[in-house]
Amino acid sequence: MNILLLSLILALGVYALLAKDLLHSVIALSAISMLSALLFTILRAPDVAITEAAVGAGVSTVIFVWAIRHTQRRDKEEP
Amino acid sequence: MKKLELIKIVITVLLCSLLVVPIILSNHSWPTHARNYLLANAQSDTGATNTVSAIYLGYRAMDTLGETLVLLVSVTGTMAILVKLGKEQTDEETTSFSLTPEKRPTNRLRTHLLETVASKLGPIVLLFGFYVMLYGHISPGGGFQGGVIVASAIVFLALGTEVKSKLTSTFVLSRIESLSFLLLILASISGVFFESGFFGNPIKSASSLSANFIILLNIIIGLKVGTSIAVMCIAMMGGSHDH
Repeated sequence: MNILLLSLILALGVYALLAKDLLHSVIALSAISMLSALLFTILRAPDVAITEAAVGAGVSTVIFVWAIRHTQRRDKEEP
Repeated sequence: MKKLELIKIVITVLLCSLLVVPIILSNHSWPTHARNYLLANAQSDTGATNTVSAIYLGYRAMDTLGETLVLLVSVTGTMAILVKLGKEQTDEETTSFSLTPEKRPTNRLRTHLLETVASKLGPIVLLFGFYVMLYGHISPGGGFQGGVIVASAIVFLALGTEVKSKLTSTFVLSRIESLSFLLLILASISGVFFESGFFGNPIKSASSLSANFIILLNIIIGLKVGTSIAVMCIAMMGGSHDH
């Protein structure tokens, strides 16, 4: 179970780095936070899990989306 | 071009594994001395059932003060940048979130779904945040976690309701933030007058009431964290001019 969650986190991290659409990256980062909160709960660290879920999936997603809204969402097309 | 990227990825993975593999392969046993001490003494020393709370508000309360200072400085810096940003583009972005759909210049990001869900969910999340904050000494959670949940509840309310309320105005929220930081300093000094030192528990550790100091610190830190993050988010969404 831990190995499955960790490999999912790794796959989502690679996707967040490689995605051309930044909004997709932010959603992938939020999913990483949720999965690691689940992992912390399994490893019996509920305090850390609450922090990770509230900060990672909640507040930082809002801030990232705000930043994307004020800048550029997609990569420029390569010539 | 493709080959170069592949080489970069391989080098990065190799460097990462150089750091991580020794940790995985080592069979050094976990340190047990501090853990055993905390398991035996944490509840009687500080009165908190939750050992994490006992550490960060009992044994290491000084570090918590430092963390609060870090948050204060970062929020101050963010607000300084945001206020300057708001002066340059006043009309475009400041009004876009908290207006009715007809008056809004861009209503792509605000739908009926957002309004309905956020305004109904906000009070429930607020209640849960205060629960996590107040019961931090018994159950998992504490001031910081509860404060962040309270902050997201305030952001929900700011997004979901069209009526301006005291809870979502940055003026009131920043006053609460300053007041709770003052209270934190006063509470930390209060131990000095009861012979237990800076950030010491003013209530004697043997009595059953000694968890009350941890509850007080949890409430103060929760209000501080919650209001400062909420002020930051509301100011980002363009509500900083409504006081």
